[in-house]
Amino acid sequence: MNYHILKKSGLDGFIRALARKMKVCAPVAKGYGNYAFEEVSSAKDIALSYIPTILPPKKYFMPQRERLLEFDISGEKPAELAVVDAPEMAIFGVHTCDLAGIQCLNMVFSEKPADRNYLRRNEKALIMGLECNGYCDGHASCALVGAHYPNGGYDLFFTDLGDRFIIHVNTQKGEDVAEGLKLPRATPADMAALDKVREEKRRVFQNEIGVDPALLPAIFDRGMEHKVWSELGGRCVSCGNCTNVCPTCYCFDMADTINLDMKTGHRTRTWDSCQLENFAVVAGGENFRKLRAERQRHRYYRKFKYPLEKFYRFFCTGCGRCTRTCMAKISLKETLKALAVGHGGRI
Amino acid sequence: MSEIINNSSWRLRMGRITAARRMTAAEKWFEIELEDGDLEHEPGQFVQVELFGVGEAPVSVCSSPTRRGRFELTVRAAGRLTTHMQTLKAGDWVGIRGPFGRPFPVKLMIGNDLLLVAGGLGIAPLRSLINYVMDNRREFGKVDILLGCKTPEDMLFGDEVKAWEKRLDVNFSCTVDRGAPDWKGNVGLITSLIPGVTIAPERTFAVVVGPPIMYKFVIAELAAKRVPERQIILSLERHMKCGMGKCGHCQIDHPKNYYCCKDGPTFTYEEVKAASRL
Amino acid sequence: MKKETKAAVPAKPKVAFFDLACCEGCQLQVANLGEALLDILGAIDVVEFREVMSEKWDKDYDIAIVEGSITDAHAEERIKKIRARSKILIAYGSCATIGGVNGMKNGFELDEIRRYVYGKDYKFFDSAPTRPVHQVVKVDYFVHGCPIYPPELIEVLKCALRGIPYTVPASPVCAECKLNENVCMYERGISCLGPWTKAGCNSWCVNNGNICYGCRGEVKNPALAAGADVIARYGLKAELVKNKFEMYNKCKEGDADGRR
Repeated sequence: MNYHILKKSGLDGFIRALARKMKVCAPVAKGYGNYAFEEVSSAKDIALSYIPTILPPKKYFMPQRERLLEFDISGEKPAELAVVDAPEMAIFGVHTCDLAGIQCLNMVFSEKPADRNYLRRNEKALIMGLECNGYCDGHASCALVGAHYPNGGYDLFFTDLGDRFIIHVNTQKGEDVAEGLKLPRATPADMAALDKVREEKRRVFQNEIGVDPALLPAIFDRGMEHKVWSELGGRCVSCGNCTNVCPTCYCFDMADTINLDMKTGHRTRTWDSCQLENFAVVAGGENFRKLRAERQRHRYYRKFKYPLEKFYRFFCTGCGRCTRTCMAKISLKETLKALAVGHGGRI
Repeated sequence: MSEIINNSSWRLRMGRITAARRMTAAEKWFEIELEDGDLEHEPGQFVQVELFGVGEAPVSVCSSPTRRGRFELTVRAAGRLTTHMQTLKAGDWVGIRGPFGRPFPVKLMIGNDLLLVAGGLGIAPLRSLINYVMDNRREFGKVDILLGCKTPEDMLFGDEVKAWEKRLDVNFSCTVDRGAPDWKGNVGLITSLIPGVTIAPERTFAVVVGPPIMYKFVIAELAAKRVPERQIILSLERHMKCGMGKCGHCQIDHPKNYYCCKDGPTFTYEEVKAASRL
Repeated sequence: MKKETKAAVPAKPKVAFFDLACCEGCQLQVANLGEALLDILGAIDVVEFREVMSEKWDKDYDIAIVEGSITDAHAEERIKKIRARSKILIAYGSCATIGGVNGMKNGFELDEIRRYVYGKDYKFFDSAPTRPVHQVVKVDYFVHGCPIYPPELIEVLKCALRGIPYTVPASPVCAECKLNENVCMYERGISCLGPWTKAGCNSWCVNNGNICYGCRGEVKNPALAAGADVIARYGLKAELVKNKFEMYNKCKEGDADGRR
């Protein structure tokens, strides 16, 4: 387990050195308290202290729109090619909630039959995490799901120690970068400072809803008919914002496009949302989730109930994006609290 | 700067239509031969059919794997792709992904009586099982087939249905919602046929395929006959877009995280009775 | 019972562009397509297009592409003739698909408006309440927008050439806007009609710093209660939002599912 040190004054040199080799992306301020992961060329572009970006870094592994197949029907028999665009890239400044989100998606897309497009992009990326020493804002619920501390999912992980970053090296790929840039090893004093940050976090980050997460599965088991769903249904606009911004949502749609030569074309995959009206409609016209209440309920069950069965974890990383982006101010924390009423076990 | 991914699960198998026939005003039957060999499917599975530049849609395989080399689809004009597919003819090419999905539990059914119930287009997936059973008739006990459709003109696979009717080793009945002047058979819902069937519940597998509305009523009749819930097999309908348990469209609102395309489309009633909708 | 989709049109179909009451801005979008226009001209044979040519065609059209709304008896007669001569009719631009800004007239007494526009001799000038094309004749394809989003017109044209339907997205503009990672207008304290407007424009306006004006028409199942809630929550005036919406969507009242 290696730890390296990077002086804050050296961050610009670090980013520039990486940017000479590959595309480097990091959180950038977009105004009005919004941030987005975008390509950067120096440290001055980067927002080191940021509220989770509009879209999570999943967009680099599963782009909003992506070409899956190319085809050509000009010959006697159609021909097709499966393609992926997977550039070498580095993502800097990924919070622990988003690292957890990437881990969730890794599980989904590596489950057989594996999605080579996702995996290929993931494999070509150097992921650099950045610790939150305090809460980004009041919408986060990372402590509830234990995503406020690093749990892997990165090559390098940066923690702010005031005038310097201490960098945890998690992979050989990460070590090669740290060694290549001749970053000094951390001293015992640096390690002690890191321990102090973590100790302080234990005090700052507390279960945000006052409900033991171990009780959530049982709460959801009995929650299908809860009145909170119709209440959310009445407020929901069905814009799909909450799922588009979610680091663990991965539902998609596919469509063919033909070029004007009417001979060649391609298939595109686009993000889709279970909140949209037509998501669960079958060809005959029947809609299996016609009501907004059913669709909102489905979203929550996809976070706190269904994935437990297959992946043994919540698919909520507590980033708070769904609450922040919702025009109707549907709050994840408030919904969970409402569901938990009467279940006891408050902490 | 795209790379080519040869092992991508999005790749298509090329299929040539070897025969096509209009069955009813809205349904067309196709026989397809894959360029790279047999489909290797099992009864109850489905494929994704790609019409280049139009899109892709899931279609149940309606032929039995016992008749190898080619497979058959019956396509009802319902959405954009299935409507366009009505224009295809022998010699045309389609892209195929699959087979996908959990098949009917044929091995478990061996040695048992079978009650096979189809409503409307449900006959298409069920036919893959019916013909499998016919080709392996010795393996099963008593076989009852119940068919239901809207009118006599909507009856699919008419010639085959007549052949089943004549066989001595199969009990066959069918009913229509609305008769026609020359119709001499039953008129009424398919549920009305079930009380007339002699069932030894412990050794009977009931396989039910039809529109969602049908399930509730048929299951109630089967429950009255005391057929165990794990021996009632359903094939559920959802929009199966990717076929690989990922795109999310076909997920069933059920505590077990079922994806219709991967964990189904066939389920035992015991498995899915907790779903908010069948 | 669905009819089989026939191969809709011959190899080099005869296509005509028409305009009714409109600003001809959508035709301008077509004329400005650039390189894509050359590809389109390789696939179709344009026989009438007032914005760019003066020739007239006296036979039937494989595809008629109609801009503008119906605002008087003459236009009604004209669109019926166009329809009768066309195998496929595409309505493009808000004026043609939803009535658009021409529909604002429907909020007033007709004579009042006529007097305002034509003065004391207004009786000599025929005028009727504004209608989008589909309220007068059958429309096969809709390309919404003011102006149209050119990539969508090309998609629709390709569908028409292949005889397959084009489905306007049922989702609101927000669904595309979020994919483009725009800062939400509501976060900037500005009301935007994205949540109630049909997608398909790739949130063109918001990408360029503008709000959504609802030019593509209302989504099929708008969240009305939620809408009122959102408007109140952001301290916006419901009347103002309604006015904004009616700028393009007044003619919806003439649709079967229209509301007052």
